[in-house]
Amino acid sequence: MKEKNVRNTLGYRMKRDWIRNRSLYILVLPVLIFYILFHYKPMYGAIIAFKDYTPTLGVSGSPWVGVANFTRFFKSVYFGRLIKNTVLLSVYSLIFGFPAPIILALLLNEVRSKHFKNVTQTITYLPHFISLIVVTGMLTDFSMTAGLFNDIIAFFGGERSPLLQNPDLYRTMYVASGIWQQVGWGSIIYLSALAGVDQQLYEAASIDGAGKWKQLIHVTLPGIAPTIIIMLIMRVGQLMSMGYEKTILLYNPSTYDTADIISSYIYRVGLMEQDWSYSTAVGLFNSVINFCLLILTNKISRKFSETSLW
Amino acid sequence: MRNKKRNAALLMAATMTAATIAGCSGSGSSTTKETTAAPASSAAAETTAAGGAEAPEAFSYPMAAGDKLQYWCDLTTTVSANYSNLGDTPFGQGWQENTGVEIEFLHPPTGQMKEQFSLILADGSLPDLMEYNWTVDYPGGPEKAIKDGVITPLNDIFAQYCPNITKYLAENPDIDRMIKTDEGHYYVFPFIRGDENLMNTIGLMVRQDWLTELGMEVPTTIDEWHDVLTAFKNEKGCIAPYCFEYTNGQYLGADPFVAAYGVNRSFYLGSDGTVHFGATEPGFKDYLATMNQWYQEGLIDPDLATLKNDQVSAKITNGQAGASMGQAGSRMGTWTTAARATTPEFTLVPAPVPTLEKGGQAEMGYIENPFSGRASVAITTSCKDVERAARLMDWAYGEEGHMFFNFGVEGESYTMVDGYPTYTEQILNNPDGLPVSQAMSAYIRGNYNGPFVQDIRYLEQYYTMEEQKQTPIVWGQCNGAAHTMPPITPTSDESKEFSTIMNEINTYRDEMILKFIFGTESVDNFDTYVKNIDNMGLARALEIQNDALSRYNAR
Repeated sequence: MKEKNVRNTLGYRMKRDWIRNRSLYILVLPVLIFYILFHYKPMYGAIIAFKDYTPTLGVSGSPWVGVANFTRFFKSVYFGRLIKNTVLLSVYSLIFGFPAPIILALLLNEVRSKHFKNVTQTITYLPHFISLIVVTGMLTDFSMTAGLFNDIIAFFGGERSPLLQNPDLYRTMYVASGIWQQVGWGSIIYLSALAGVDQQLYEAASIDGAGKWKQLIHVTLPGIAPTIIIMLIMRVGQLMSMGYEKTILLYNPSTYDTADIISSYIYRVGLMEQDWSYSTAVGLFNSVINFCLLILTNKISRKFSETSLW
Repeated sequence: MRNKKRNAALLMAATMTAATIAGCSGSGSSTTKETTAAPASSAAAETTAAGGAEAPEAFSYPMAAGDKLQYWCDLTTTVSANYSNLGDTPFGQGWQENTGVEIEFLHPPTGQMKEQFSLILADGSLPDLMEYNWTVDYPGGPEKAIKDGVITPLNDIFAQYCPNITKYLAENPDIDRMIKTDEGHYYVFPFIRGDENLMNTIGLMVRQDWLTELGMEVPTTIDEWHDVLTAFKNEKGCIAPYCFEYTNGQYLGADPFVAAYGVNRSFYLGSDGTVHFGATEPGFKDYLATMNQWYQEGLIDPDLATLKNDQVSAKITNGQAGASMGQAGSRMGTWTTAARATTPEFTLVPAPVPTLEKGGQAEMGYIENPFSGRASVAITTSCKDVERAARLMDWAYGEEGHMFFNFGVEGESYTMVDGYPTYTEQILNNPDGLPVSQAMSAYIRGNYNGPFVQDIRYLEQYYTMEEQKQTPIVWGQCNGAAHTMPPITPTSDESKEFSTIMNEINTYRDEMILKFIFGTESVDNFDTYVKNIDNMGLARALEIQNDALSRYNAR
């Protein structure tokens, strides 16, 4: 009885755990340090969103201003447009960009010729390794009046026009180029999930008279559903956190209407105009929305399926 | 003691001025003699006046060994093409030898000066000397930089250790006013353009060989421009007769077609002596209407908002465009050299700021201030040996330093020919095959910027083509200098409010201008556009500018 109590103390259990799993702990240590240094420590700096930050006074020395920076953003004439653009662009990226790698993976999975499959995979991966600045540079050149896209349009009898100066086309260009660049890379995880589906199930299904299509619906998709859902949750969690890099490389004042998003706005105000506190406030607001979305999706997913992040 | 020293310094400055007026100026490297002589006499004066007080020692360059100084500055591309540190260049070495000060040069990564500057401030370990645009790019302005304890006010330092710049400022009261804050503090060793021809470096240029072929003159009015561009389109098959990148702030601010309508894209000094915002004035509407018409007629590059420098260069040199704007050196010169490889007759000539009526002279036009704030050096509060730093900087404003910064080393990068400093073959026809701009940048700072007074004689030799030499005269044909905003300094609170307002307005303006030009927004809606800008707080922004201007005028 007494001995059992000793064994149950936290210290004892931790010690035992350490002895048993020492190598695992050591293995995880670098990752842990990385997160503490680069993800948790900088969070302290987020308090400048509530301050009037001056570098010489430092984070702790700058005077508090309450929520002034947030109200300034909410009152800004661009508030509505920034939110709308960010949401629309990410929702389109999600709707069109999320299924694309799954479809590619399913198609590749059905290919019987190993050679063809490898070649296709390599070709679709490659764009992932092209630097974003090169991709956007190509896109800008192709979109010009004398560019490749316009050559194609003109070939089919269309009229030449500067495509990247048309706000109506901006989202299409942004989303489509994103898919082109990431579809191959994104399909890797699904291909590995597909490899894990039990082959006996296919056999059983085909004995029951299921064709290729029925097999896809009833065996393959349920088999990779957990992966899809986890990926979806993570993707939704990042819904609002669109990087500014691609936007600032692709947009110009004539497409601000559809192109200007929260992060590009932060870039312009924060880095170019050195208004650190304000841009931190906008960024913080963005992160809070992201956080809420993540929790929400997780809840929904837990309700309707058995898969969830926690 | 402090006061006595100041008196001594004032006296010293006075003696120096007197000595120069007496005829010492222009006689080659006389500064060393002057600086040695002047303190001696003032020291003597002080001893007599104060009766045996401690006398400052006679001063001469090079200085005795002492602290190594850290000097932070952007490394311009023409230097970084061949050197990774300014200290490796003959310029950097010569500067240290001549002054006797050991300098450690620190450079931010190319194109990241502002970001690096913020990081250095946040970090708190400031280099001794920092070259930056303290007038415009320090959030809150230069007075705030002093109050924040980042930089040292220089009034006492100028008076005590800087006879050269003190003398220069005494001779140029208009520049003296520009480089002070409203409170009267000096804060930098300034970069000054020493001649008005150095201030109008951007303008229109057009293909002369085509004009000759078509029997046309260099256009001077908006109507003539319309005819010329139409001819380029129809006769020469240009797809982009007039071509420049419409998102590059440097060129937009100088746009001669906006100036033709007597306005400016941003703030300018009106004839009534107050600050105006050009983009909401009636003239701007006419400008937009013309641009929209030209755009519809295919006279302007249809891709104007997505163009970058490379594409503009390509279009000009391969004949898809016939007119553009920019600098005489990096654009007109570079393009002409490049295009002549395939088109020997290729010639670009400068065109003046267009007018609406034939024969008039444009009222507006792009003329910079002699002092814009750029590349000016402040002594930070981290600097331990302020005297050493000040004397190092002051050297450039004396005769010897002036020659060194603009022409380099006599006998190596220039020789005196009939009293005119002439660049050697080393610079103009570099044996290692370096372009003139890079060969110059190794020896001098005269061809870009820095803490010194720029000399026009550099430009006279840098421009090798006849057309380039005409540019200062042709582009200077306007009254633009009267409308350039002086370097005013809003207070720290004002500047914060101002940037909040202008951030929204500028975004909206840039967006709408393009819409008006493309025709996606009718120019008839100009009044709505003006009303929207008013609602964003333009009146308050103008008030801030005007307050700052009246304080500036009162300096």
